Amino acid sequence: MKISGSYFLPLPPEQAYQRLQDSQVLAEAMPGCESLDKIGEDEYRMKMKMALASLSGNFDGKVRITEQSPPNSFKLMVEGSGKVGFMKGEGLLKFTPKDAGTEVSYEGDVQVGGTIAAVGQRLIDGTAKMMIKRFFDKVAA
Amino acid sequence: MIPQQFEYSAPKTLDEALGLLAEGARPLAGGMSLIPMMKLRLSNPEHLVDLGRIKDLSYIREQGTVIHIGATTTHHDVESSPLLRGKCPLLAETASHIGDVQVRNMGTIGGSVAHADPAADYPAALQALEAKIVLKGAKSERTVSAADFFVDTFTTALESGEIVREVIVPVDGSGTGTSYQKVLQPASGFAIVGIAVRVRKQGDKVAMARIGVTGLSNRAFRATAAEKALEGRSGSPAEIQAVAALVGQGVDANSDLHASADYRLHLASVYAAKALAVALGRIA
Amino acid sequence: MATTTITKTEKLVGKRIRRREDPRLITGTATYVDDIKMPGMLYAAILRSPHAAAKIRSIDISKAKALKGVHAVFVGEDTKNAGAVPCGASLPGLRVPHHNVLAIDRVYLVGHPVAVVVATDRYIARDGVELIEVDYEVENAVADPEKALAPGAHAVHPQWPDNVAFTFHQEGGDVTKAFAEADVIVKQRIVSQRLIPNSMETRGVVADWHAADRTMNLYTSTQAPHLVRSLVAQILGLEENRFRVVAPEVGGGFGAKIQTYAEEILLAWISMKLQKPVKWIESRRENFLCTIHGRGHVDFYEIAAKRDGTITGIKLKIIQDLGAYFTVLTPAIPTLSVLMMPGLYRTPSISADIVGAFTNCTPTDAYRGAGRPEATHGIERMVDMVAAELKMDPAEIRLKNFVRNEEFPFPTATGLVYDSGDYSAPLKKAMEMAGYDKLRKEQVEARKQGRYMGIGLCAYGEICAFGPSPATPAGGWESATVKIEPSGQVTVLTGISPHGQGEETTFAQIVGDELGVGIDDVLVVHGDTSMVPYGIGTFGSRSTAVGGTALYFALQDLKATIKKFGEMLLESDDVTFAGGQCTCNKSGKSIGVKGIAAAAYRAMKLPPNTGPGLVATHFWEPPNFTFPFGAHLVVTEVNGETGDVSIKRYIAIDDCGNILNPLIVDGQVHGGVAQGIGQALWEQAVYDDNGQLVTGEFMDYTMPRAHMMPWIESGHTITPTPVNPLGVKGVGEAGTIGASPAVVNSVVDALSPLGVRHLDMPLTPEKLWKLISAGRNA
Ligand SMILES: Cc1cc2nc3c(=O)[nH]c(=O)nc-3n(C[C@H](O)[C@H](O)[C@H](O)COP(=O)(O)OP(=O)(O)OC[C@H]3O[C@@H](n4cnc5c(N)ncnc54)[C@H](O)[C@@H]3O)c2cc1C
Repeated sequence: MKISGSYFLPLPPEQAYQRLQDSQVLAEAMPGCESLDKIGEDEYRMKMKMALASLSGNFDGKVRITEQSPPNSFKLMVEGSGKVGFMKGEGLLKFTPKDAGTEVSYEGDVQVGGTIAAVGQRLIDGTAKMMIKRFFDKVAA
Repeated sequence: MIPQQFEYSAPKTLDEALGLLAEGARPLAGGMSLIPMMKLRLSNPEHLVDLGRIKDLSYIREQGTVIHIGATTTHHDVESSPLLRGKCPLLAETASHIGDVQVRNMGTIGGSVAHADPAADYPAALQALEAKIVLKGAKSERTVSAADFFVDTFTTALESGEIVREVIVPVDGSGTGTSYQKVLQPASGFAIVGIAVRVRKQGDKVAMARIGVTGLSNRAFRATAAEKALEGRSGSPAEIQAVAALVGQGVDANSDLHASADYRLHLASVYAAKALAVALGRIA
Repeated sequence: MATTTITKTEKLVGKRIRRREDPRLITGTATYVDDIKMPGMLYAAILRSPHAAAKIRSIDISKAKALKGVHAVFVGEDTKNAGAVPCGASLPGLRVPHHNVLAIDRVYLVGHPVAVVVATDRYIARDGVELIEVDYEVENAVADPEKALAPGAHAVHPQWPDNVAFTFHQEGGDVTKAFAEADVIVKQRIVSQRLIPNSMETRGVVADWHAADRTMNLYTSTQAPHLVRSLVAQILGLEENRFRVVAPEVGGGFGAKIQTYAEEILLAWISMKLQKPVKWIESRRENFLCTIHGRGHVDFYEIAAKRDGTITGIKLKIIQDLGAYFTVLTPAIPTLSVLMMPGLYRTPSISADIVGAFTNCTPTDAYRGAGRPEATHGIERMVDMVAAELKMDPAEIRLKNFVRNEEFPFPTATGLVYDSGDYSAPLKKAMEMAGYDKLRKEQVEARKQGRYMGIGLCAYGEICAFGPSPATPAGGWESATVKIEPSGQVTVLTGISPHGQGEETTFAQIVGDELGVGIDDVLVVHGDTSMVPYGIGTFGSRSTAVGGTALYFALQDLKATIKKFGEMLLESDDVTFAGGQCTCNKSGKSIGVKGIAAAAYRAMKLPPNTGPGLVATHFWEPPNFTFPFGAHLVVTEVNGETGDVSIKRYIAIDDCGNILNPLIVDGQVHGGVAQGIGQALWEQAVYDDNGQLVTGEFMDYTMPRAHMMPWIESGHTITPTPVNPLGVKGVGEAGTIGASPAVVNSVVDALSPLGVRHLDMPLTPEKLWKLISAGRNA
């Protein structure tokens, strides 16, 4: 599934760029993230606990940052798998100055597999949007 | 289709239930949303507290200008209640559109509201009715407006340990017309779009318009721009069309296998027009 | 000697008799596989791949094994010698993937069984599955047959990088000439989308091995118990006579239970390994992923016609989405489409090519209609398109091209011989019932008002009653044994295996009429290989036409014996057996079946060359298929604002030959039509690009429900088949075959003012809304 959107951060592009690569910030902002450990250059191992209404599941995964072009863009890849299935998101984040801050636009692809893919079709779009919004809200905070 | 092991309690009193919930148990009402998720192991609660045996949690009572509906009141009870059909027909009509007979016999208003499925039917009506939702925890009780309660996809103002105790809807006096119009997703029966309209006229002008929308986006909401555009007008067919077109304005519509965002937005305006016309026609 | 019993004269065949199987079904007292419990029985749960294509790097079963209550955990390596899932079809050059019962090294579809946990109860087994850790190296997948055939596509099986399982060519007449001399040629790509069969009862197996006497009892929800017995016994190297397969109550099959599945082999193997009975019940989610799918065609049609509407030739290329491996008939299904491609039309020349494509998806196989719905959908769409091109009425072009009554038996360009028919009769009857001319006038009015009203026709034909044997993968005959018990009650053992079709009723009707006994005195036994003679099973609308005929002939044999006893007992050589009585035509004395049965078993005296008892067995091989036909007419209106289709009228006129029980025939037509409308409007298996089945539950896969169905106005014409003495053709699949083209033709007709000539299924409101809004803006 394709996803795209944008979010305004009240920070100059350089800072916004940095903030979105700061593992501490990522760990706090990624919904359900329980731990984020560096395992390589721009690569982290992540444990996540997703809880959405009565739905819950633990995911083991990775976060990777590639194609860095500071302070304009980079690619963020998040993947995780657990008993209920797996998910993989990949997106290009672009940073453009706007009104004393930065507009972060993203465009990418979300893949979902396993039980969640088969039973949650009508919810994947909305849930992805919500997760992304929660993420940026936290980043902005 | 086999859930994980879980503990099950069926307390007789609300206090007992709240005590268990405070310890991290999860409430079970009609089970129509929770149990399928448990069978698929998407949801793995360790302890379920069945609210179904609690005395006095299933009721529909008129009190002054409002009607109180207990959390475990089934969709069928709401649909068939003479009190609601007479005095808050929008809610009864909405209930009649939920799922199928079996689901309506089991599912409850508290469960539906707490679950906050973005395509559930009640939330549209509750928005249009400006309903209040009473939340109770072991130590506290608070009342939240529907507008504040539905936060996002499956996300509500409920804090952990709290339950929905009741829903409060207004008595709609004469001069009010309502309608709930729904586009069914044919597989699940959930709403692709559902529009609840509640209008009141004074003379030949619309004095109040409330439009609740579900299914379109991440949560049920009130289409306030459309409401404002209708108020003060007579509600002519041309006005209805113009107002209906505002319902989806600025909404980040959901898209799935069954309906793209564009189609959803289109349906929202078609069904809003329908609901508006029917509601205006029903003004006694 | 008793000489008086009531003579039965009223015939049972042809009456609307309620199904005798219903009381146990309605009261919940029927025994399905999951109702079977055995002392010490274990339960199996299967871990399945969440990926459509991956290498298995490692599997860690230690935690699962350590779980209390778990008896065993098996992985692919363990079952290496348990054999592979069998494919019964053979085609020249066919590439058959070896599908082990549990994956070895790699998985190639979501749902691929990877490991099995056996435990004391199903909860523990399921918990055990959760504890297995598999490390997958995920690969790209291909889930679309056209993409699979494109250069550079991911290879579903690395040894066959082009994803081509087979190609197949068939030709008849002179198609080159037909196209060279055509006045018009119409071309269209037509998709018959993948569908997911869903029976009320999912699959399930109980395997019960007794080592001491080397016997296996396998209870399985199947349509073909003997086939399962032959295949599984052979695969596991067991003795067929000690291998008993029981199909207890089977809650629907629709073709998806003809196959022999991995779980049947696996469970038998586990029971032998653990020396315990073991049960596995498919979950609904597994049913979506692991039971076969149906259809999955991309068809490229070209049709040649003369200006007067005469169809002279058809070219067809089928891309068949086979899925990742084969079940028993997978590659054979599209060949049935080729056989049926001319439909009911005289079409002298055809040319057909099939490319079977591997995809990382569930295998396709027989699903109600199996190959014939695709063919009928194609030809019936194409005929409408030719009519549109020539500005002819769709009824007229059909009437013009039908095989004529005097031409039967009619040899088709595809090598079949159509048995009998009056092809224009159902169409004319449907048009008359509908008031066709009036409807066309209403349509003109509707269009003036800007409404989208459509009238769709479909004249379908089908191949039923499989055999004869040389034309089938596993024999096309059927068996029946009739026993009159000493008490005079009658037991029928049949090789067919009904699971909703009602043969316990229709067969009893046949027996009742032939032997003159009451329907309640007849018991029809089926589905247990230790009780009934070898049989082929229930599929392809064959049960009554082939199994019923075997029964009919067994009854004739038995009647001859009865008569001999009658002659002996009445001491006359001028005896007639009728209405349950042997009557001496001279003395007028008579004796009933009961008395004869008593005498035959008491055997104080026997007729010449006759042994004691009253039993007859007959194996019947049909000389040809049967070819039922019919016409469906559908009136629809498409809502211009939303794209919703509403079916205003549904008329189904079916000719299935003689009708044994109109109530059952109606039921078959209604159910079939529901499935056909389901395909036309709602159902589709959707895979994403990664091979994830996204319509994997009823939340997203739209099964038609009662409230979504139109009122079906059904009627019949009756053209008995000469192929069997009952004159019956078959009706199990007719409704499905007729419905999808009729509905689609109707909707295309509704939208034709917008320039619409073709629509692929399902006709979702959004698809139609887009066309309508584009048309309006144009
Ligand atoms: C086939 C099918 C079709 C359906 N179609 C529709 C439809 O068309 N429209 C529609 O709106 N809904 C539909 N539903 C959902 C149905 O309305 C459910 O009944 C409802 O969403 C949940 O109510 P419940 O009482 O069954 O709650 P449960 O399933 O018991 O619980 C749902 C969730 O709410 C929590 N919960 C329950 N009660 C409370 C409470 N009082 N306070 C706090 N938390 C609580 C539970 O812990 C759980 O997380 C359908 C369901 C099915 C199975």
